[in-house]
Order: sequence, then structure tokens, then C-alpha cells
Amino acid sequence: MEIPYVVTPRKDTGLFNSKIAIWLFLASEVMLFGGLFSGYVFLRMGADYPWPERTLPILPGLLNTFILIGSSVTVVFAWAALKMRNWMRFKIFMAITVLCAVTFMIFKGIEYNVKFHHQAVRLKDYTVLEGHLGKEMENDKPVLDHNGKEIEENTIRVKADSLTFNTVRFYKPWVEEALSEAKHRGSKVTLASDVEAVTEEGKGKQTIAKAGTPLSVDLLEEIAEVHLDARGHNADLRTAALKAEWKKAKQDNPGSKGWQLAANVSIDTEALNPRLLTEIGTVKFNVEPPCRLDFKPRHIQEGEGSSRLRDDTVVTGELLESPMVFHNIDAIDFTYLAMKAVERGVDPEVAIENSWVIQNKKWAREAWEWNKAQTAKLEDRLLKDYGVDRETGKPKREPTAKERYRIGWKEFVAMTDGADRGEGKTFLKEEFVGPDYAGREAKHTFPHAEIPREQVAFASKFTPSWNTYYAIYFTITGLHGLHVIGGALVLCYYLLFCRKMYLENPEWLANRVEVAGLFWHFVDLVWIFAFPIFYLM
Amino acid sequence: MADTPEAIRKAFLTYLIIGGILFVGTVITVLVATQEWLDFGGHGFDWHDAVVGMIIATVKASCVAAVFMHLNHERKSVYWIFFGSLFFCAALFALIGLAKENPIHDDYFYQAGEAAAPVGDTAAK
Amino acid sequence: MSAHASSHSGHDAHADHHDHHDPGFLRKYVFSTDHKMIGIQYGITAMLFLAFGFFLMMVMRWSIAYPHEPLPGWMSWVFTENWKARWLVDGKVTGETYNMFGAMHGTIMVFLGIVPLGFGAFGNYVTPLQIGAPDMAFPRLNMASYWIYLLGGLVMCASFFMESGAAKSGWTNYSPLAGFADGQVVNQFMAGQTQWLIGLVLLITSSLLGSVNFITTIINLRARGLTWMRMPFFVWSMLVTGFLLLLAFPPLEAAGIMQLMDRVTHSSFFLPTGLFTKSEGLAEISGGGSPLLYQHLFWFLGHPEVYVLLLPAFACVAEIIPANTRKPLWGYKSMVYSVLVLGFLSFIVWAHHMYMTGMGAAVSTFFQTTTVLISVPSVIILTAMLISLWGGSIRFNPAMLWACAFIPMFGIGGLTGLPLAFNLADLHLHDTYYVIGHFHYVVAPGILFAFFGGVIHWYPKITGRYMSRTLNHLHFWPSLVCMNIIFFPMLLQGMAGFHRRWYNGGDGYLDKATALKGDGPNVFANTVAQHIDMNILMSMGAWTLALAQIPFIINLFISWKAGKKAESDNPWHATTLEWATPTPPGHGNFTTEPAVYRGPYEYSRPDHADDYLPQWIEPKEKAPKKTESHPA
Repeated sequence: MEIPYVVTPRKDTGLFNSKIAIWLFLASEVMLFGGLFSGYVFLRMGADYPWPERTLPILPGLLNTFILIGSSVTVVFAWAALKMRNWMRFKIFMAITVLCAVTFMIFKGIEYNVKFHHQAVRLKDYTVLEGHLGKEMENDKPVLDHNGKEIEENTIRVKADSLTFNTVRFYKPWVEEALSEAKHRGSKVTLASDVEAVTEEGKGKQTIAKAGTPLSVDLLEEIAEVHLDARGHNADLRTAALKAEWKKAKQDNPGSKGWQLAANVSIDTEALNPRLLTEIGTVKFNVEPPCRLDFKPRHIQEGEGSSRLRDDTVVTGELLESPMVFHNIDAIDFTYLAMKAVERGVDPEVAIENSWVIQNKKWAREAWEWNKAQTAKLEDRLLKDYGVDRETGKPKREPTAKERYRIGWKEFVAMTDGADRGEGKTFLKEEFVGPDYAGREAKHTFPHAEIPREQVAFASKFTPSWNTYYAIYFTITGLHGLHVIGGALVLCYYLLFCRKMYLENPEWLANRVEVAGLFWHFVDLVWIFAFPIFYLM
Repeated sequence: MADTPEAIRKAFLTYLIIGGILFVGTVITVLVATQEWLDFGGHGFDWHDAVVGMIIATVKASCVAAVFMHLNHERKSVYWIFFGSLFFCAALFALIGLAKENPIHDDYFYQAGEAAAPVGDTAAK
Repeated sequence: MSAHASSHSGHDAHADHHDHHDPGFLRKYVFSTDHKMIGIQYGITAMLFLAFGFFLMMVMRWSIAYPHEPLPGWMSWVFTENWKARWLVDGKVTGETYNMFGAMHGTIMVFLGIVPLGFGAFGNYVTPLQIGAPDMAFPRLNMASYWIYLLGGLVMCASFFMESGAAKSGWTNYSPLAGFADGQVVNQFMAGQTQWLIGLVLLITSSLLGSVNFITTIINLRARGLTWMRMPFFVWSMLVTGFLLLLAFPPLEAAGIMQLMDRVTHSSFFLPTGLFTKSEGLAEISGGGSPLLYQHLFWFLGHPEVYVLLLPAFACVAEIIPANTRKPLWGYKSMVYSVLVLGFLSFIVWAHHMYMTGMGAAVSTFFQTTTVLISVPSVIILTAMLISLWGGSIRFNPAMLWACAFIPMFGIGGLTGLPLAFNLADLHLHDTYYVIGHFHYVVAPGILFAFFGGVIHWYPKITGRYMSRTLNHLHFWPSLVCMNIIFFPMLLQGMAGFHRRWYNGGDGYLDKATALKGDGPNVFANTVAQHIDMNILMSMGAWTLALAQIPFIINLFISWKAGKKAESDNPWHATTLEWATPTPPGHGNFTTEPAVYRGPYEYSRPDHADDYLPQWIEPKEKAPKKTESHPA
């Protein structure tokens, strides 16, 4: 059996199979990216926060665009070379294409990596600060945690005296983490009291574990097993008892409906109690002596005296100061604050003057004053260059909200250099990966700051969780990146493993390369839209 | 159709020209976004710039589709498939947009909630 | 081409067929690339999932009818002791468990049951045969779609055994509810809600591969002479279904990916600012997302999906009816155009599922208009089928019985949809049992009946044997009665205002003091009291329906080996190409290269002695050149 029209086109449709298939596939891809881009449009239209315009460094995106366009040209050359039966040329162009794909992904990786290590925080008054988190230091040396890693200063610290685990829901890695951390700080985690349970019907209590037994996942699992056995046993008993009650009720009240009887049908708890086994829902462990345990903010609902982890573990103890410490603040962004102020009919400048950073931090006040002066300068220049609109009487061009209310890293650089906005000296590398903190440390370009926890409304790295812009940026470019990788793998396969096919049936290989090329062009096509949308708009 | 070796040889130049157009288009888009003398509309980004950027992107995309993807001389069924999907994609955009632009909006409902919360409180944990 | 493809002796229909290159058990039955075996795999898997989905519903019906009583042993024996202790309270179904079963019932029935059965099983088995192709255009891709489908299904169902349980936010999985459900699970890949999304993305990938394959096959592998207007209606339906899957699924895939991002990376695509939950307080998210965006993307798939379910059913019925009325399908051309219009319109009606989301008058009017418009092609198709019966000498064999039942049952389902199309009526009926009754009439006694008919119709081609008539009747009549017992009261309850998500069937709304008399001060409580007893009737109907499926299951397996043998390759004396193949068709399908000389439904031609003239019979003398359709 042979499938027809694999190589030669069918006469009436004029197409070979895989060409129809790839076009169908591209049609579905249009809908996929269409769905995502429509997501972008409607998230942007409906955004209730200032959309981060032109927030990414343009240079890597621009280079990637050039790379992808170049690869589109070379892939079509490679196909043409095959059509002309020039294997050597095919190999050269295909190799360049694959190389382009690899470079594209490397640039993409660098961009992502920078974002993943860049921290943002929104304060309760809607001020947004961006920068790099500091590492916990002691005597100018980084403090190491139980894993031997430096501690980023964005943890919730609890001086824990006890941990109470939910026997069903405890999360093993966290238990091990807490155990290891306590050990690192010289504390022991031991069972607070004897765990006793009736494990067999009609028998007395048995001791499962004695008070003072050190915490271990095995111990928790052992207790969990006893708990689950008891839970199942008790549920069976209760079910059987309820069934019996219902049978009796129905016999006693023929013709009555279920909902009429329901109020009077219940399990005779007292009769049943002696037969029930002990369920152990939680186990409490003491931390002795009480020691500091660190938790990621997202994992814990902190409270005074008692905090709860996501896996239902309760940590009791004193909540310690847990500030967020920025070693380098590289942007103060008042745009959100200004927007909220306007919404509430407050003058944005007044709201900014009253914000927590301006009130409490000298560097913030300085930067804000500098920025205000710069904005005034810009206002004057725009008025001079473009004049006033005759109808409205307002200047034709005015500074944007971003210029007025956002002090970015380039502004900090300009301010330190004593230059005007946009005239600070930056290096090529900085245009690519953002400011060079270490290099500029000597001039104290980027301030250090400690943000008390109670001022923090929402904090995140520049990951999808920071806002919907980054969410859609990572989703679309990530998916696009996967397409690049997939396409490159296929092209690579043709480059490396298809010599035999070329010798046997070059037309078939040419068809395949054409089809893969169509996919590759489509990937380019998506990027042609993604680049301006994410980098320039 | 560029299937014969001669036709393909001729097409090389076309491909290079299209590549050039794409490069130039990209540069223009970046200039529109970064240079004040090419800033459309008001100062900074606004919808004028977005429209210009999208027009350039569409032109670029059309070049890629028409020449690199050979849509300038393709079979009818491919047109049906591809432009069909573009049509439905446009419908997706347009109708969601319509639904978003035309909500039943009760001002009182929204204001009551907003007024109750002073600045800062809504973001409190 | 496939002229010398398979060298078996296919002319003897009853000979056991063996390919000369025996591919071995695994390659032949498990990792097969043969479209027929893949079709059978799809069919069996889909029926198993249907049975599972049915079981979930039986448990739900218990909760609705007897909310205060423990689940009886004949249903609860399935569960382990541990599972029961986790999900039942004193043996009673809890609201949470009901939600979980409800969400999974919908998902399983739609994505894992009906679609694979219609498109995967019937489409795979019949389409290449009907167009005279040796196989699908991409056999290995075809295999991949099946395995990805199976993987997706298993991933979804595996979550029943997790601590978090399976997804429980409805089959539509609306955010922000779905975005937050199972949020307490630290490792999100062990949460049912996340598993659901992963499963969904896999299923979508599978159907995308499938639809690419189908459309390519239909466009490029048609036999010589099989022009577009000579294609059986079945193939047209599959073509349109393929396009619906191809273009409607990706936006949902986008939505699925976004929701997955929301869950795993804590983004806020569909989560609004200031979201407050009881368990977490003010959510630790950035906010700024749009819950409505999810609904738009979901229903952009959701509505075409309805036609993905329906068109294969139309396809089966359109094949069964002409073969058994011995008449051409009435209005073949208008049916073809209708199905194309149906496919087109189905993309622009989706927001009629969202009248309650606060859309303004202009948008509502638009979607209301398109929704009413789309009933026109559906009605044309149904009417054409109905008229096809007129004046025929109908053979009421089992397949035909199912097809005949399909028409009125689907008719009820379709017509009850009209009030829902209108914005104003929908405001009252939205999310009530009326909606449930409406679409279950479409899907259960409608689509499923057509599929049962299809199984019986093509069974002799697949196995070389007939299904047992007696068992067919034992299956058909109780099913017909039970279906109506279950779904008709739903329409009444719905109009009385019963909400579709009540896990206790309305018990909570009763005013127990006055309920018996039904004259208390609480008017709604009185209405509930008047209608609540229907729950028991409907539940009984559902459980009886389960019993009624037993004859079918027995029939399906017993007849495979012990059924009456089919007398020829074309036991129904049908005209389409699949009956020109040996029985069962071997690898490569046709023994000689098939060619087509006429339209698909040439029954009872006045100029011909036999009452049917198959597509593949070469004209004896040079007949006057015919147009491409059937004779009027």
C-alpha cells in the first residue's frame, strides 16, 4: 500500500499532501496566536493599571528581528539550492538558518534571565520600586542558609517555637526544608506530646510515637497511615449506621418523602463512639530552642503569633522583622500612584509628595526633585519646538506620564553624571542586559533601601506574575520560542540526516524543506508582530 | 511558479530585495518608536504610533507571506484555508472587541465600591 | 497508487483476511497505523470513557434524588475505603464531590466520549473508505493523534485519585473560580484543576493533528471521478467538522495555556484586581486580568464544538436513511450547502452563552440574530432527512430504528434551543435545568442514537457479521423510553427555576414546614416543592438507562465472533464506496483502484433494473453525460 501524492502534486488540486497539511496547520496557528494576541489587546484595553509602555530594552529585540529575517531569507535560499540540486549550497544556507535560530534563542535566554533576577515591589500607596534584592550580610560577608546558599532579603522570618502539620496535606519538601533549617540553626524539632490512638476496634489506646521523637517525613507518614486507616474505618461505620437509620425510618413512615424524614434521621453517635478509631488530623512538634525559620512570602499567610503555610502547616512563634532589602533601586515609578490619584480627584504631584518613599527616603526625594526639574525643562522645550494648539490653547506636545512620574535607571545614571535626561552615558552591554550595578556602585548611582514588610502590597520578580503585560509577554514569546526550537530541530534534521533521501529522491526532500520553510516563515511572521507590540508599543 | 531552475535563479534577487525591505521596515519601526523627529501624533507613544507600527508590520508580514511563502502564486485551496483562518481570527478580535466596548454599565454599582475604599486600602493584604 | 497494494484474495468476502506482511500483534492491534484499526481503537476507548462519564452521572443523580441518604452499595463498591472517607460524608455525596463529578462528567462526555466516537472512530473508519483512499494521508500522524488523545484522557482522569481530587469548576472551567480551585496544593502538577488543563491541551493537540489529517485526506486522496458534489454527505460532514476543530480549538488552547500560566506562574490573565477569597483573603496576585476574556475564548471553541459533536451524527444518519429507504437522500445539494453555512455561522454565535455577563444591547442583538440564523441550516438538514423518508419502502432494521428516533429526539433538542437563543428568554432560563434538558436532548438521544445506528450499520463491514437483532431491540426501546423520562422533566424543572448546579436537587430551597401543602409564604419554595419529586423519577430513569445498555455491550462483543455472517461485501445494498471493499477491508482497503462514476445516493433509478446503482459500477454503455449530483 502506498499513499499517493506524497511527492508529486495531485493534478486537480495542484498540491502534494504535506503542503495542504502545513497550510492547515498554519491556519490553526493563526487562530492560536490570534487568540493570544486578542488576549493582549483586551488585557491592554481593560488594564486598570498603567500599561508598561516601551519597557523592554529594544536592542536584543531588534537584533533578534534581524536574525529571524535573515534566517527567513537563508531558508528560502536553502530550498532554492535543493531545487537546483546543489547539495553544498543547501548545506551552507541551512546551517546558517539553524545558527540564526540558536542565536535567537540565546538572546532570548539572556533577556529572560535578566527579567527573572529583577525585582519589583508595589507599595500600599501604589508607588512601584524596581531593582535588585540584597543578600543578607554579616560583617560584610554573606550569610549562608542551610543549603549553603546566600539568603535573598525577601523572606518572612518567624522565630518558631512549634510546627503543627496536617497529616494528610503536609508537603514533604517543606517538612525537610524546615527540619534542615532548624538543624542549621542548632534547634531540634521534636514531637510535642505522645501520639496515642485506638488503632483496632475494641482495643485500648496504643502509643504511635512518644513525645520527644524527632521530626521526620517517615514519622509523619507513619502517623498519616494510622490516620487514614482510622478515617476509612470510621467512615464505613458511620455510613453503615446511617443506612440502617434510613431503612428503619422508611419502614416506620411508609409513604413519606426523603426530605420530610431527613431532619429526624441521624446517626446515634453515642452508640457508635466506642467503636470508632482515633483520627489524628494534626501533629504538633516543638522547636527547641525556638529558632528563626524563613519562608517565601507566597507560601505563608503570616500572622502575629501564628502563621499558616499553604500546605496547612501552622507555625507558631514571634513574627520577626522581615523587610525587603534592595541593594540597588534602579527605578521609582509613580505612574500607578498618579493614575490612582487622578481617579480619586487628587493632584498627582501632591499624592506623590505624600507617598511613603518621598516622606521617608532622602534619595527618593532627591530623584523626584531632579525629575521634576527635568520634566519642566522638557515641557519648555516642547512648547518652544511645537507651539500651542490654537483651538484648545494647550501645548501641542507634552511630556508623557512615564516621563513625568517614572524615574528609570537611565535617569539615575544621568542624575549621577550631572547630565540631562537622556544624556547620561550608558554602555552597549547595559543596553542589552540593563544597568551594570557593580560598575556604578562606586558612584552610588543606585540607592540601597529597606522596605518594611507592612508597606509592601505586592512584590514579584519580573515574571508573569508581576502584571498582565509580563504575563502575555512571556506567554507569547515563550510559545514563539518553542516554535523556533521545534522548527530548528526539524531543519537540523534535514541538514544532518537527509543525505540519503537527497540521493534517492531529491524532489521529496525539496518538498519537505519547502514545508518546513513555510513553518519557519510563519514563525518569522509572528515575530514581525510580536516585536513592535512588546518592545515598541 | 518558481519551480524550474531558471525561474528559481531569477527569484534569488527577489528574495534578497524582500529581505532588504524587511530590514528597512524594522529600522523604520524602531525609529518611529525612539526618535522625536519621526514621532507621530503627540509626544511619546500614542495610537498614531501604534497604527504606523502595525501598518509597517502588516506590510512586512505581507511581503513574507507573498514572496517567501509563495502566496503570490499559490493554489486556490491554500487561499481558502489561510484566508479563511485570517477571517475567523478577525471575527474573534472584532466580536470580542464589540462585546467589550458595549457592556451594560451601571455607574452606581462601580462607584459604590470605589468610594468605600480609600487610596491604598484595596491593595492591603 | 494502490492498484497492486495489498495482495490478498479480497474477492472472497468471508475468507479470513491476512496481510502477507504480517506486522505482528503490537503493530497490528496496538501501535497500528491503519486507519481502520485506529478507528476501532478510538471507538472502544471513547465508549469506555462514555461508560465512565455515565457512571459519574449515576452517582450525581443519587445525590440529586436522595441528598440525605448514603450512596448505596451497588454504586459505592467502585470506590476504595480511603476514597470514600475523603469524598463522602457518612456515605453521602457532598457538594464538593458533586461538583467534581459534574465537571468531569461534562468534560469526559464531550471531549473524551462523543468527539472521539464521532470524529475519531466513525470518521477514521469510514472516511478513507468512502473516498476510495488506501489510508489517511498521514498514517503515523493518525496514530499519534490517538495516543495523545488517550494520554490526555488518562491525565485528566488520573486526578480522581489525588488528594485534591479532579477538576471541580464545571466543564467550562470559568476563571476566577477555576483559577483558584486547588490553590492550596503546593505542587500544582498534583492538582486536579491543573491536570485538567494539561489534559485539555493534549486533547486539543490530538484533535488538531486529527483534523489536519482528515482535511488533507479528503482534499487530496479522493478516488478518480469522486468530484466534490459526488462525495457522500458523510464526507462533507467530516470535512466541515475538521475545519471546525482546526480553527475553533486553538483559541481554547490559548486560553488553556493562559489559565495554566495563572495557576503555575501565578499570573493574572483571568484574575481581576482586588480578588478576595475566603481561604486566602485578598489574593496575592497582581490582578488586572479579565475573567470575561476566558469566557470569550472558551466559547469561541465551545459553540463550534457543539457542531463537532453534531455533524458526525448527521453524517451517520444521512448514510443510514437512504440505504434503508431505498431512495436518494432528498435535497443532497441543499444539505451540503447547509452544512457549509452551518460551519461558517457556528464561529460567530458563541456569545449567546454569555448573555448574563453584562453584554450590551448591540452585542446581544448581534449574537441573537446569528444564533437564530444558524437554526436555518440545521432545520434544512433535519427536514431533508425527514422528507427522505417520504414514499420510501423503509426497511425498519435496527440501524434505521435508531436513525428514525434521532430525527424527533434531535428535533426536540434543537427546538428547545430557540428560547435560549433569545436574550430575553435566556435571562430566565440561563443555567437552569432547561438548558441541561435542551443540550442533553441534542447529545444523548440525538447524537448518541445516531452513533448507535452507525455502529449497527457499519458493523458488518468491520467484522463481517451482523449484530443480533433481538439484542438491538432490547437496547433500543428501553433506551428511547428512558431518555425521555430523564430529560423531559428537566425542561419542566428548568422553567420552574431549578438551577443546574444544585447538588441536592433543590432540597435546600424547600420550606419544610409548608412544603407538602405548597402554600407557604415563600413562593419559590412552593415551586420547588411542586417539582422536586421529579428528581426521583429522572434518577430512576437514568439507572434504568444504564441497564438498557447491557444488551448493547453484550451484542457488541458476542456478535463479533458469533453473529450472523454477512452474505456479501455489501449487505445493505448501499451505493457508497466503503461497500466496494472486501469484508473486513485489508491493509490498503481496495483490491483494485476504485473509480467513481456517479453521485452517492443513486437508489431506485427508473432506468435501472436493480434498485440501487453503486458509485463504483462502471456504466455499461456510454450513458449521456450526467451532471455531478444525484437524479432529482
